[in-house]
Amino acid sequence: MVMRFFTGSGDQVRELSDEVQSMLVACRHTFDAAINAVIGGTDPQAVGPEIRKTDRGINRSERRIRRKLLVHASTRGADADISWVMVLMSVTKDIERIGDYAKNIWDLSDYGVDLSGDDDADHLRFHRDEISGLIADTARIFAEQDADRAHEILQGGDDIQDEFDEHVNELVGTDRPASYAVPRALLYRYLKRVVAHLLNVLSSIVMPVDRLDYYDEAKADRD
Amino acid sequence: MRFALVIGLLYLFLVGVKALESGINGFGEGFSEGMLESVRNPVAGLFAGILVTVLVQSSSVSTSLVVAAVGNGTLPVTFAVPMIMGANIGTTVTNTLASLGSIRRPQEFRRAFAGATMHDFFNLLAVALLLPIELATGYLTRMAEATARFLTGSTDLSQISNPDSPIKNAVKVPVSAVESIAERLSASQTALAVALLLFGLGLVFLALTQITQNMRLLMAGRIENALNAVLGRGAGIPAIVIGILITVSVQSSSITTSMLVPMVAAGVLTLQNAYPVTLGANVGTTVTALIASVAAERPEALVIALVHLYFNISGILVFYPVPVVREIPIRLAKRLADVATEKRTLVGVYVVAVFVIMPLVGLLVAQ
Repeated sequence: MVMRFFTGSGDQVRELSDEVQSMLVACRHTFDAAINAVIGGTDPQAVGPEIRKTDRGINRSERRIRRKLLVHASTRGADADISWVMVLMSVTKDIERIGDYAKNIWDLSDYGVDLSGDDDADHLRFHRDEISGLIADTARIFAEQDADRAHEILQGGDDIQDEFDEHVNELVGTDRPASYAVPRALLYRYLKRVVAHLLNVLSSIVMPVDRLDYYDEAKADRD
Repeated sequence: MRFALVIGLLYLFLVGVKALESGINGFGEGFSEGMLESVRNPVAGLFAGILVTVLVQSSSVSTSLVVAAVGNGTLPVTFAVPMIMGANIGTTVTNTLASLGSIRRPQEFRRAFAGATMHDFFNLLAVALLLPIELATGYLTRMAEATARFLTGSTDLSQISNPDSPIKNAVKVPVSAVESIAERLSASQTALAVALLLFGLGLVFLALTQITQNMRLLMAGRIENALNAVLGRGAGIPAIVIGILITVSVQSSSITTSMLVPMVAAGVLTLQNAYPVTLGANVGTTVTALIASVAAERPEALVIALVHLYFNISGILVFYPVPVVREIPIRLAKRLADVATEKRTLVGVYVVAVFVIMPLVGLLVAQ
């Protein structure tokens, strides 16, 4: 404990960014495991404990980052990087929510939903890969604070969300049975929320602090 | 670059202490006798220590003043001991004031005020217990003298005037220059003494403030690391050591304890985990007096600086190892915080009573 005084890197901002990246890596792990239990044919009971364990880890990381941010602000006083503190408070909440949605997706499989052999399974797997890749990209972009790439993804992000909304709208009006429509509507809704929270994280790279956190709202409601 | 600046500021600090020493000397024997008379009663000395520290908002400045007065032979060590103990009490006013920042949020304030006042209670209890013991036995002074004899390699401290140290010689040069300028400007001995005293005080203030600011910037990353470790792994001796290291780094126990207040207020740092860091801060702050003694003319300055160190170590040895005793200052602080949260006007009453009225009235009565 005392050695931390002498051996720490001293670059808390870097350390906290690394921790945020680790949270995103853990989120991708839970997301992949959870969605594969719904559309990939994985046994839900085989991955359930691991998903819950990883999610608890994500929650612990969020609390740890918040404590560290408080220490940063208390220690540095007027020299504290307050906007960075606020950004990290905001993005860790978004990342923690992604972990929660991954759990919600797994819950579908726990209710007995298995879409792995259905007609639209390939389409769903396309979105799985798209979002899993987006989580990985977000982790890298956040770590590198790559504003150009963040802009690119943010511009295309609304299209992804709009597509999920269209699917939900179609399912609301479908004549097919609830056992078909409800799991898909929920899944598309969860996927949309995961994307929205990822976009929130990316927006922290290019937006001023007061404009954070609006990518989980409809485009028209953001102003 | 910043480190070199801090070294330069430490030199200025020592010049300030030397100027204080010369300034006090310059007032002549009448002043010395008056000063001795006013603190002959240890209770008066204790309250003077509290009052001066509250006024200058820094135990580092007040203890440096005491070290300077002891260092030029104006103040005997025995009279200075209660003043040093008073400085320990007076310095806690800063973090108590820092806790007022959350006074509008009752739950936060309850924790913040308890976090701040446990330092008050620890120091009050330590003085209440150790001052009578010191007056009866002189154990702190004897231990400090033995250490000073060991460090200076002398069997009789009173025989040592000023071993030729390059630091002391380097510190004398600017003070002599200021003295000669002041002499040219005024023939009066008192005016010269006042000028030197003000110059010394100003320099000590400026140097300590700048050292604290620069060291805080230099060490911020390490301090953050250490405090994160305290949050993660809890209390104990390592937390005391961290309190010492942080305070030695920033040269101010008030800074260390005031950093803890928002964390305690937010509830991420428990009182039990903050407490040992606070005790470490008490020990760490004694380094200022030890540094100041380097510039002093007589080795008694080192003795009083060591008394400050041993007093704070004694306090920890009495109040920390036994869990039931350890809890006393924390429980008293929690109880006061409960009352203060219910009746917030009492907060002002407490601060004014403990840090202004008590020492003021005590000083007048004791004299």
